[in-house]
Amino acid sequence: MSTPDQQRPGAGDEDQGIAVVARTQGQLVRRRFFRHRLAMISLVVFVAILVLSFSSTGIGPIPGWWKHDYTTIGTVVDGGRPTLSVVPGFLGGDGIHLGEHPFGQDNKGIDYFALTMRGTQISLMIAFIVGGLGSFIGVLIGAAAGFFRGWTETILMRFTDVIIIMPLLAIVAVIANQAGNAGPFWLAVVIALFTWTGLARIVRGEFLSLREKEFVEAARAAGTPAWRIIRKHILPNTLGVILVSATLSLAGAVILETALSFLGFGVKPPDTSLGRLVSVYQGAFVTRPWLFIWPGVFIVAIALTVNFIGDGLRDAFDPRQNKVRS
Amino acid sequence: MTKPSSDDPFVDHRSMGAAGSDPLDVGAAEPTEQVKSATQAHVGHLGRSAVGGEELLRVDDLSVEFPTDDGVVHAVRGVSYALHAGEVLGIVGESGSGKSVSSMAVMGLLPRSARISGDVSFRGEDVLSMPPAVQRSLRGRKIAMIFQDPMTAMNPVHTVGDQLAEAVLSHELMPRKKALARAEEALGMVGIPQPKTRLRNYPHEFSGGMRQRAMIAMAIINDPDVIIADEPTTALDVTVQAQILEKLVEVKDAIGAAIVLITHDLGVVAGMTHRVLVMYAGRAVEVGETDDIFYRTRMPYTAGLLGSIPSLDSDDDGRLRPIHGTPPSLIHLPAGCPFSPRCPLATDLCRQTEPELFDTDVTGHVAACHHWRRLAEADDPTTFFRSESEAS
Amino acid sequence: MLAFIVRRVIAAFGILLAGTFIAYVLVALSGDPLAQLRQSNEPGIEDRIANMTERLDLDTPVPLRYLKWLGGAAQCVVPFVGTCDLGQSVRGQDVSALLADAMVATLQLITVATVTAVIIGVLVGIVTALRQYTRLDYSATFASFVFVSLPIFWFAVLLKQYIAIDLNDWLADPTVSLPAAAIVGVISGLIWGSIVGGDRRRVLTSFAVAFVATGGALLLLSASGWFRSPGLGPVVVGVVGVAAAVGLTAVVAGFRYRNVLYAALATAGAGIVANLAFDPLLTDPTWGTLFLLLLLAVAVAVGIGYAIGGLQRRQAISTSVWVAVIMAFTITADRMLTAWDNYYEFVGGRVVATFGARTPNYDGGTWGNLLDTVTHLALPTLALMLVSLATYSRYTRASMLEVMNQDYVRTARSKGLTDRTVIVRHALRNGLIPVTTLVAFDLAGLIGGAVITETVFGWQGMGFMFVEALRNTDPNPAMAFFLVTGIVAVLFNMLADIAYAYLDPRIRLG
Ligand SMILES: Nc1ncnc2c1ncn2[C@@H]1O[C@H](COP(=O)(O)OP(=O)(O)OP(=O)(O)O)[C@@H](O)[C@H]1O
Ligand code: SF4
Ligand SMILES: [Mg+2]
Repeated sequence: MSTPDQQRPGAGDEDQGIAVVARTQGQLVRRRFFRHRLAMISLVVFVAILVLSFSSTGIGPIPGWWKHDYTTIGTVVDGGRPTLSVVPGFLGGDGIHLGEHPFGQDNKGIDYFALTMRGTQISLMIAFIVGGLGSFIGVLIGAAAGFFRGWTETILMRFTDVIIIMPLLAIVAVIANQAGNAGPFWLAVVIALFTWTGLARIVRGEFLSLREKEFVEAARAAGTPAWRIIRKHILPNTLGVILVSATLSLAGAVILETALSFLGFGVKPPDTSLGRLVSVYQGAFVTRPWLFIWPGVFIVAIALTVNFIGDGLRDAFDPRQNKVRS
Repeated sequence: MTKPSSDDPFVDHRSMGAAGSDPLDVGAAEPTEQVKSATQAHVGHLGRSAVGGEELLRVDDLSVEFPTDDGVVHAVRGVSYALHAGEVLGIVGESGSGKSVSSMAVMGLLPRSARISGDVSFRGEDVLSMPPAVQRSLRGRKIAMIFQDPMTAMNPVHTVGDQLAEAVLSHELMPRKKALARAEEALGMVGIPQPKTRLRNYPHEFSGGMRQRAMIAMAIINDPDVIIADEPTTALDVTVQAQILEKLVEVKDAIGAAIVLITHDLGVVAGMTHRVLVMYAGRAVEVGETDDIFYRTRMPYTAGLLGSIPSLDSDDDGRLRPIHGTPPSLIHLPAGCPFSPRCPLATDLCRQTEPELFDTDVTGHVAACHHWRRLAEADDPTTFFRSESEAS
Repeated sequence: MLAFIVRRVIAAFGILLAGTFIAYVLVALSGDPLAQLRQSNEPGIEDRIANMTERLDLDTPVPLRYLKWLGGAAQCVVPFVGTCDLGQSVRGQDVSALLADAMVATLQLITVATVTAVIIGVLVGIVTALRQYTRLDYSATFASFVFVSLPIFWFAVLLKQYIAIDLNDWLADPTVSLPAAAIVGVISGLIWGSIVGGDRRRVLTSFAVAFVATGGALLLLSASGWFRSPGLGPVVVGVVGVAAAVGLTAVVAGFRYRNVLYAALATAGAGIVANLAFDPLLTDPTWGTLFLLLLLAVAVAVGIGYAIGGLQRRQAISTSVWVAVIMAFTITADRMLTAWDNYYEFVGGRVVATFGARTPNYDGGTWGNLLDTVTHLALPTLALMLVSLATYSRYTRASMLEVMNQDYVRTARSKGLTDRTVIVRHALRNGLIPVTTLVAFDLAGLIGGAVITETVFGWQGMGFMFVEALRNTDPNPAMAFFLVTGIVAVLFNMLADIAYAYLDPRIRLG
């Protein structure tokens, strides 16, 4: 993705030149992304899930709008069956309404919608921390290795190799088993410490090829300091790759966290997450399938929409179908 | 429809605009003495004599469009030409003018998304409407192509010998040994030393020039009638370029093929071709015999191209006079003449109506310009671009 | 090349040492194996604590303990020494013995799942790349996104419920209703219509053929009671052989010259004859016999290809060999199904198993046991396969599209090669190089991924062992897991590099 405009003579001083490119390219990217229909739908759904989960049960001390609490034990009504109905009356259904417990109740009478929302909230929060922190570490290590080469690169890449050979789920499980007790935040940090390897390799590759490009060589010849070259010239050109990879790692983080919690090494009570809900209620599958289905549906919905958003971003940044050969 | 061979390959292009009659068939007129001698003078140093055998390839009103996310790209718009046995036709034009796309359409190599219209006939048979299997059997056997970038045009995981032999085997079943022998012979013909051991090399073990020779060998291995060479030397350094072109002409003569030579390099055109087709924004804007294109230019764009090459023998200060501005977008073409935004001669007429290919004062020389007469009147048409460039 | 490999091996050892060290420290810090004992106040608990401390070497500082452990573990890697010491579990079992069993179980699961996932994924990737932007492509893309987004633990439980239990219920009275047959027929028709492609008429024809063939076959099989007592018989084996011969010839060589087709058909014929002739041998063979028979089949196929291939000898040989292998598998399946009725009785009709690796107390001879293994492998394999399939199909598709856009593919077409040759010899050969390395990388990761599958399906492999160990704060079995996955990871990363270098002459020779 070289940008020919950057080299056009007379494009003004270097910063200005970049700014022009960044804007036009940014516009292109945005337009292509908005044209990716699945990605757009996914974005809407994902934001809806985000808003729903955080607003319904509240964040920290701020209460949510949902009438039930995710800890209050109540009386089990109608075997805890969900009261949500989406089939309108004229189609022979019960009409469209939420009812008292739209997702039903668990065996202790806790409102399952509240519980699911709380689980979604925690899972999302962990995913965001993992995606953000993991990507940050990945970019840092990859950039350092790719830009400075030499010993820095050897050491960093060997270190990456070492981390990569340990199965992610297992090594995280080992640490999370303890970290989980310290709360979801620390769990997320621990997961992030092991999920940066893929991005580090990609970023290093990008840096290796970009640092040979003429505009970087020119900047270096002009005595521009390293961090400035990285920030002004290289990072903007790897932004697409980083963004796509960070997005996809978000989806990966949701799956990983829920898997950990499912095995019992992730989020620990009293906190809950989607994975823990699936794990706790898998025994109830035959008698009360909704306790098992709802959290799973939310995991799939989050992972799927995030994956589609990532795909849309990838297409927007690297539009193969528009690539024109001479 | 097999055409009787004509002595005059040049006149086929007259008057695209002549309503009613087939514009390609007007060309039975006698060539002028002047044209003939010019031709001979020109190709004489290539060791070849008269051209103009039977008509091999004929492209008629060829258009290619690509639907893309950003709109329909009108890559080629109504290009016509004919190629006769033994002839070298040059196609020149800026990057993006549709040179490659028009040739790929002839070869049937465009992606499926391309919308192609018009006619392409080889020895009188319509190529585009042939069943795919028949079209395929022409490809590489009757019409071969040499591509621009020898670095990427060969498959890195197969040996050069295998890739050459494959070209033979795909048209004729024979023992591999025999096909490899043919490959060895072809490599020898294009001047690769020790062809036998070279057969076993992979492309990355060849230098750029050698790869391009190997590409030529691949193109000639089945004795094709037509070779389309798409900028065969742009990726190579200057000294190698000359050798490659010389080789190309040599093997063409050896196997008696005609060549469509696509290039940016007007020097190459001057030295090698009999006729030239100038393309701009997907159209043929000037077609004529090579000397006429150079010395009796009738289209400002061509004049601009000529002015932008360094010349040693020019009578003025030897300054370069580049054409300013960029080619128009092929998605949103400007109204009128596509060259008008960059043309020093542009008038309101130009900005309103797109010129057809008009007959000019020179026989067999057509130009898509409303004001070709003004160029005919000028001594040196490139001077039209002077004031502008010299002022800046 | 040799220097390259040596350098790679040395680097791999270094990485493995560092990796196991980190894992060892983390495992050691992850919990106190004595925690439970310390809380109890049973009599004699002091002794037990001392005993355990001694057994797990808990008094030694962790880095030293790692070195000791490494000394024992190193013996496992050195060939032919035979002594392998991976320490003991908290219950006092020898970990290397535990590991051996677990490894076999995991290997079984992973191999089958990976092989099927790779084959199907790569095929889907190729087809969707060749049919880019068709309905098939969109559907496959969508499906692969769904599979990538599925949490396997959730999906596996659904599979257990809806596939196993419902399928077993259906097997109690297996009939295909007309609407069901019609629906499956339509799906098959849509898929084939998209795969075949071409103009409207061709698509409609292939839709109709696939619809009638699939739906009809289902109804026919249902009516003849085949689902109750499935089997193939020599006729089906023969038909499969001939179909494989024709299909493979179409892919490998085309029909312009017939030698390859004749060779493939001759091989199929030989297979049919052999199936009948070796009947007594195939009734209850040992695995050794079967392996020898497979070798024989391949040898015969090579001979036939060599003899009949003529000018297309190479292609003829490879086609014949593939036909022979496909026939061998078909015959195996045919024989395996002979054990169906007996097995059905034994398990009381619950044929698709949801737990464990084999039915307790069942011994049905070679074929019966094979069937038993297959029914136990079915669900976990399906779960693992579907989840990893999508990666391969997406990756193959992207790689193929990339390659199809390369200049050398255009060159190949300009030479007048058939589409088949262009795709097989130029696009596939290059497009699958990165896929090969991806598969190698992934194999190592899959063992880690099997942790969940094994837990859900009670498959007593390494993943199961690891989870148990972690729950019981049992360091040595957990470390054994990391040792194996680490070795596999560096080994396969190395293989990936070497395979890459081997497949790409630019690296091999450059
Ligand atoms: N597959 C395609 N999809 C969309 N547009 C295309 C495609 N192939 C070519 N084009 C467009 O068609 C136009 C003509 O391209 P073409 O390759 O023929 O130019 P050219 O004259 O050969 O230029 P060059 O001298 O750089 O080779 C270009 O604007 C190009 O962007
Ligand atoms: S038609 Fe007009 S604008 Fe076009 S080339 Fe001729 S003079 Fe220039
Ligand atoms: Mg071109």
